Amino acid sequence: MNWISALPELVLACAGMAILVFGVLAPKNAFRLASMFTIAAFLITAMLVMGGTTSLGYSGLFSSDAFSQFVKLLILAAATLGVIVSLDYSEHENMQRFEFPVLILLSTVGMMLMASAANLMSLYLGVELMSLSIYVLAAFARDNLRSAEAGLKYFVLGALASGLLLYGISLVYGFSGSMNFADLSAELTSASQASTGVTIGVVFIVAGLAFKVSAVPFHMWTPDVYEGAPTPVTAFMGTAPKVAAMALLVRLLSGPFAHLLAQWQQLIVLVAIASMLLGSLAAIGQKNIKRLMAYSSIGHMGYALVGLAAGTPLGVKGVLIYLVTYVFMNVGTFACILAMRRRGRAVEGIADLAGLAKTDLGMALWLAIFMFSMAGIPPFSGFWGKLFIFQAAVTQGMWVLAVIGVLTSVIGAYYYIRIIKVMFFDDAAEAFDARPASLSFVAVAGGLFTTGFFLFAAPVEAAALAAAKVIFG
Amino acid sequence: MIATLAFYLFAGILLVSAAMVVSARNPVHAVLFLILSFFNAAALFLLAGAEFLAMILVIVYVGAVAVLFLFVVMMLDINFTQLREGFQRYLPVGATIGVVLLAELVIVFGGWRIAPGSDAHRFAPIDVAVENTRQIGNILYTDYILLFQASGLILLVAMIGAIVLTLRDRKTSLHQVVSKQVARMPADTLVMVDVIRGAGVPADHYLRPKVAPVAAPEAAHDSHGHGGHH
Amino acid sequence: MLPVPLGHYLTVSAILLVLGIFGIFLNRKNIIVILMSVELILLAVNLNLVAFSAALGDLAGQIMAMFVLTVAAAEASIGLAIVVVYFRNRGSIEVEDVNMMKG
Repeated sequence: MNWISALPELVLACAGMAILVFGVLAPKNAFRLASMFTIAAFLITAMLVMGGTTSLGYSGLFSSDAFSQFVKLLILAAATLGVIVSLDYSEHENMQRFEFPVLILLSTVGMMLMASAANLMSLYLGVELMSLSIYVLAAFARDNLRSAEAGLKYFVLGALASGLLLYGISLVYGFSGSMNFADLSAELTSASQASTGVTIGVVFIVAGLAFKVSAVPFHMWTPDVYEGAPTPVTAFMGTAPKVAAMALLVRLLSGPFAHLLAQWQQLIVLVAIASMLLGSLAAIGQKNIKRLMAYSSIGHMGYALVGLAAGTPLGVKGVLIYLVTYVFMNVGTFACILAMRRRGRAVEGIADLAGLAKTDLGMALWLAIFMFSMAGIPPFSGFWGKLFIFQAAVTQGMWVLAVIGVLTSVIGAYYYIRIIKVMFFDDAAEAFDARPASLSFVAVAGGLFTTGFFLFAAPVEAAALAAAKVIFG
Repeated sequence: MIATLAFYLFAGILLVSAAMVVSARNPVHAVLFLILSFFNAAALFLLAGAEFLAMILVIVYVGAVAVLFLFVVMMLDINFTQLREGFQRYLPVGATIGVVLLAELVIVFGGWRIAPGSDAHRFAPIDVAVENTRQIGNILYTDYILLFQASGLILLVAMIGAIVLTLRDRKTSLHQVVSKQVARMPADTLVMVDVIRGAGVPADHYLRPKVAPVAAPEAAHDSHGHGGHH
Repeated sequence: MLPVPLGHYLTVSAILLVLGIFGIFLNRKNIIVILMSVELILLAVNLNLVAFSAALGDLAGQIMAMFVLTVAAAEASIGLAIVVVYFRNRGSIEVEDVNMMKG
């Protein structure tokens, strides 16, 4: 029993329970303190993750390796930024309850379990721990009908998706005789080795995970839930869980099911193309910026899936780098969206940004950087993410995929640049309220990362490549 | 032979009651059919040799989850007569898709074979000589301890979630603060008054609450002297 | 171990799964029935796992079924909590009323 391999998760889970007890016993509202403790717990866990060694623990249920470390650090960074952006909003909207950071923390434990899963059972429990916390978070503003409706929609569709995932797991188990990733990959050494049952099981599993990353046929919930959920929850939901689910998809398809490439590749290619198209076309008519971000995230997940479809270490490296850039530009954008507040009331229309450059040049500049980066314009980080992805696709001779990717980024650039036009060239609307320091911090951190990514791309790339090689053995 | 007949009996009732869950007009009936289908599923588990799971299914589902459903159905106070009946509208399309999906799954299951060489990968082979519960206990707390704890965390999230979403701290509701009530001493609120023997008790000469001229509703509440707090 | 061929168990579970998916998509009446359909789907999965566990002679399937039961209970409680919150805001649990956001 190698219990030390899960030390970061154990520490984080214990810290979560300690914060919960503290919150219950604290004499007055402990929201701010609990959030601070949560951030501290995330930082300590990140250090433990960095100091972790490669090992397979708990009877082969849990693996700690370069890939899981890379993903976990990204998840922890996203979760930390998610807690920071929620500080001010929660106090404004009267949802400053200490359960909020605790739920984010427990959901992060689930994501870390997903990143380390070496068995279909740990995969499933990780997914559920993550999802159940997020269902509650989406409905957290319980006096707000839109939040309740978002929670309800997310819950019903999410429960269906995990049902499908589970059915797929049961089929794979039954038709191959094991749930362990190592055994599965020893078992399924060639496409002919796998019975139809395994293939159908894999399709069900991919469908369940595609829901979690909101890739196209399973994206229906995304715009409504993004719009209805409290904005900090949307910011969190749009980053960390996507990273965890995408990492899981990568580990599963490139690990135990690597030899079934012929079966799943077509599926992933179709899903990727559909997501890129929908992400760029459906976003054009949107007036609400949270809905726009929903379609934008659908598109981004499509690009990340291109790297997965390539089925090579180069492609997986591209996926990881794409996720890194995606997290920072997304969380930075949401920090700007959260700062859109007039006379104490949050506004979410794109029209509300009109003439922002004249009233608050700093925020307009940061938001412009994020939009340029999402559109994939050099030298911002989004460009490098897309570059690595398309490079991997082209190396595998998947020209069609790469061309569609480039075309959809051009269409996508239209609506990103429209926001910049609204901010810089439209008549100034009324100024926003003063920005709280927490949001400025996140926007600046995300902005600096996005702008300066090319300066330190080399170490990130090396780490991503090392992580990708672990998956392919 | 009897086991085979029992399988078809339980499977039949299970499927019929599941169909009733989905189509019942009254949610209370749906919950009751759900309970019936859980009972029959437990019987199928028993036939497959999963005794412990069968018992857990009856205890956890029938005992807790189904009752929770009933409780919420009753609590929400829905006007059943007003619920619209829109099931038939989508029935043809839905039925077609369902039948196709089902046919495909059944065809696949017809060709079921255990993958060759998978015997080596049995994680926990079933030993017929040892009872099912003991076997599960042996591996659940050792090999699967991590996942056991993770499912504990999931239940913790469910508890936090249910409390944080539905518990309301109304400003107007009256709570009992036990610590204050216990710490309360007679001398804090009562005075002893000397009474002259044989002179009767004048209206204001008996053990009575200290007069505390505070806001009217508070005073009315306090004067009963049993430690009510807001 | 099994009294009937494994295919029969799997067929029962497949029908149960389809009924559950049916209940989610075709139900236009009330959300609580949707939650019950989710329970049916998870029951179908459990039936699958138990049958495979018996056919393979491997206990892992039963352990998994137990975790699924745990998660299903947690899911039911969170789902019902969300339904209660929704009902308090909307005063109705009809599926067709869940339509505030469109686009």
